[in-house]
Amino acid sequence: MKIEVQEKDEKIIRLIVKDVDVSLMNSLRRIIVSEVPSMSIDEVVVIENSSILQDEIISHRLGLIPLTTDLEGYNLPENCSCASEFGCNLCRVTLTMNSEARDQTQTVYSGELVSENPAVIPVSDKIPIVKLSKGQKLKFEAYARLGKGKKHAKWQPVSMCTYKYYPKIEVPSKECKDCSKCVDICPKRVLGMKGKRVEIKNLLACNLCMDCVDECPKNVPPIKITWEKNAYILSIESTGVLPPEKIIQQTTKILEEQLTELKREIEAIKK
Amino acid sequence: MIIPVRCFTCGKLVGDKWEEFARRIKTGENASDVLDSLDLSRYCCRRMLLSNVEIIDQVLRFNEETEKRKEAHNFY
Ligand SMILES: [Zn+2]
Ligand SMILES: [Zn+2]
Repeated sequence: MKIEVQEKDEKIIRLIVKDVDVSLMNSLRRIIVSEVPSMSIDEVVVIENSSILQDEIISHRLGLIPLTTDLEGYNLPENCSCASEFGCNLCRVTLTMNSEARDQTQTVYSGELVSENPAVIPVSDKIPIVKLSKGQKLKFEAYARLGKGKKHAKWQPVSMCTYKYYPKIEVPSKECKDCSKCVDICPKRVLGMKGKRVEIKNLLACNLCMDCVDECPKNVPPIKITWEKNAYILSIESTGVLPPEKIIQQTTKILEEQLTELKREIEAIKK
Repeated sequence: MIIPVRCFTCGKLVGDKWEEFARRIKTGENASDVLDSLDLSRYCCRRMLLSNVEIIDQVLRFNEETEKRKEAHNFY
């Protein structure tokens, strides 16, 4: 297996993975989406709410706020030694809010949430939770826990996770002259004109839609779109809860754990 | 009612981008350019901001007017 980092910043990572099977790529994708844990509010005790949004709507909005996650410091509630429904310091973070509009209408932002652990805070301080008019109050205590995407999408660490085949384009050099139909139709601007000839400008943007082949006026289109065998482009966009490279590290760890468990179960059957 | 916290389709955080979007649209900037600069590349996230109407501002006016009337009542 060969891995090459094509693009990386604090939210996005794009990898070119070669010499692997689709099934492995798909298991990675599915683990990222449904098995990598992250922190999210999932219980709210509303003490006072005189705003115009109901308790349930505010709780729902709170649940969707992405929180920066500390995976080493916390346990999943189902694996925690406390085994209590309420949770303990190792599986729960308390966030509190006490806000009141004194003089005029004001917006309550996610930045006003006070967390007991400075490592678990909202990803952005500027998410509006509710608007309060003069005299209205909002006071609550919220409990954040680790969870997995398969239970609720708010625990998904990514907002995009896809893989596609590595494209392979053959552009004819002899037959095609003075025709730019395939260049103009391409929605991803993969092709370009160099003088009178067609050339590949941005190969990795190709999504294999084949519009260029369909648009060609010739009976046998000289342009050929295929894909490399066993080479993929894996793109991940984190919601900010975990850095993208950390998400991939966790994914491989979880896959390994699952395979070990499968092996153990099979060996138990044999005996 | 109020800007959703995340995109309905992909789950990207869009709530914190609304105020900047609304402010810049008011100054006459092109919506497409503003969305690009806010790093919203997929059309699912772009429609979250493009199609949002902050009805909460209009609903809040009822409370604001009630509060004013109360104050006026206390004054006389
Ligand atoms: Zn615990
Ligand atoms: Zn989206």
